[in-house]
Amino acid sequence: MPQLNPEFFVTQLFWLVVTFSFLLVFLWRISLPRIGNVLEKRERKINEDLTAAKELQSEAENIQDKIENQLKQARSDASELIKSSSASLQDKAQIEISKLEKELDNKINDSSEKIEKSKNESLNQIQAQINEITKLTLSKITSFEVTDDEIKNAVKNSERSLN
Amino acid sequence: MAAKGEKHSPLEQFEIIPFTKTEIAGYDISFTNSSLSMIITVAVITLFLTLTVNTRSLVPTRMQLISELMYNFVAQLLSDTVGDNGKKYFPFVFSLFMFVLIGNMVGMIPYQFTFTSHIIVTFALASVVFIGVTILGFVNHGIKFFTFFYIPGVPFYMHPLLIPIEVISYLSRPISLSVRLFANMLAGHTLLKVFAGFVVAMPFFTGALPLVFIVALTGLEILIAFLQAYVFAILTCLYINDAYHLH
Repeated sequence: MPQLNPEFFVTQLFWLVVTFSFLLVFLWRISLPRIGNVLEKRERKINEDLTAAKELQSEAENIQDKIENQLKQARSDASELIKSSSASLQDKAQIEISKLEKELDNKINDSSEKIEKSKNESLNQIQAQINEITKLTLSKITSFEVTDDEIKNAVKNSERSLN
Repeated sequence: MAAKGEKHSPLEQFEIIPFTKTEIAGYDISFTNSSLSMIITVAVITLFLTLTVNTRSLVPTRMQLISELMYNFVAQLLSDTVGDNGKKYFPFVFSLFMFVLIGNMVGMIPYQFTFTSHIIVTFALASVVFIGVTILGFVNHGIKFFTFFYIPGVPFYMHPLLIPIEVISYLSRPISLSVRLFANMLAGHTLLKVFAGFVVAMPFFTGALPLVFIVALTGLEILIAFLQAYVFAILTCLYINDAYHLH
């Protein structure tokens, strides 16, 4: 077996030491720190991104909470506004209605007064005509000279008995 | 039968061919196919790990991802076995893992020499681990490191038996570590060449059968190449852990 031939032991050991030492020093000083740096940098970047993402998420949650609160506020405000405005509208309507009623009442009163007045006038006229007619009739039928006052009283009396 | 008639032996691939004849202070340091293979391995590792991470992009390219996966793989291995103490040894364990892994992989390329199939190379690597770990054990625990061979909770009359066993198993660590890698690579490559010999020796149609085997075995060998590098690295980690935590 060529492996057991000591002739080449020294040269193999020599070249092994040379190449392996070079490899060890090169990797130790140059290659491994580079790869290590890259890995470390990446890990740091990932961690930073993760914390940034977490912060953003909590921020977003805060904003969402705020939006929800504002929406709730807006809803309650709107319902309040509707309630109050409908109440004030009702009040206004009430006022208008009562005003109208008052006016109508006044008009009714006026009209009834007018009616009363004209009725009285008419009654007085009728009274006067009755008196006139009675006087004329008496004067035609009889020869009694009657005064206006007497006729008036007589008519009143008869009216009273009628009533 | 016919395979024996061929001029090529399945072990011929492990022959070391010197390209130059160099000596320093009487020691032979000729540049050989083994040295070339080591240089290719180191070049592949350093170039790959440098070029792929060159952009240092936050979002990795596919190639950068491979480098990062290797980094994380070994880092995970070390932290799982040794814990926080292991960070100091990361460059060494990583270099060892990559050197063995790429060395095995380069050996899978046809006509490429596999330096991990030479016991002297694997034994040297294992010795570095063994000596380093032993020094580490003495630095961490001083003379108390010898209690490593004393297993607590065992009946006292067992100790005369167990302590020598523990010492022997500790001392045979570099041997088991190096022979495991060496034997795996040797056996795999030899098997491939034996089957390749069958392909040539057998008549036309039957020769296809060993060829299929070669394809399957090549896949297996790639798996073993990775597995042995992994085993080498994880045992190194375990030995480092032992140097920190005695039983």
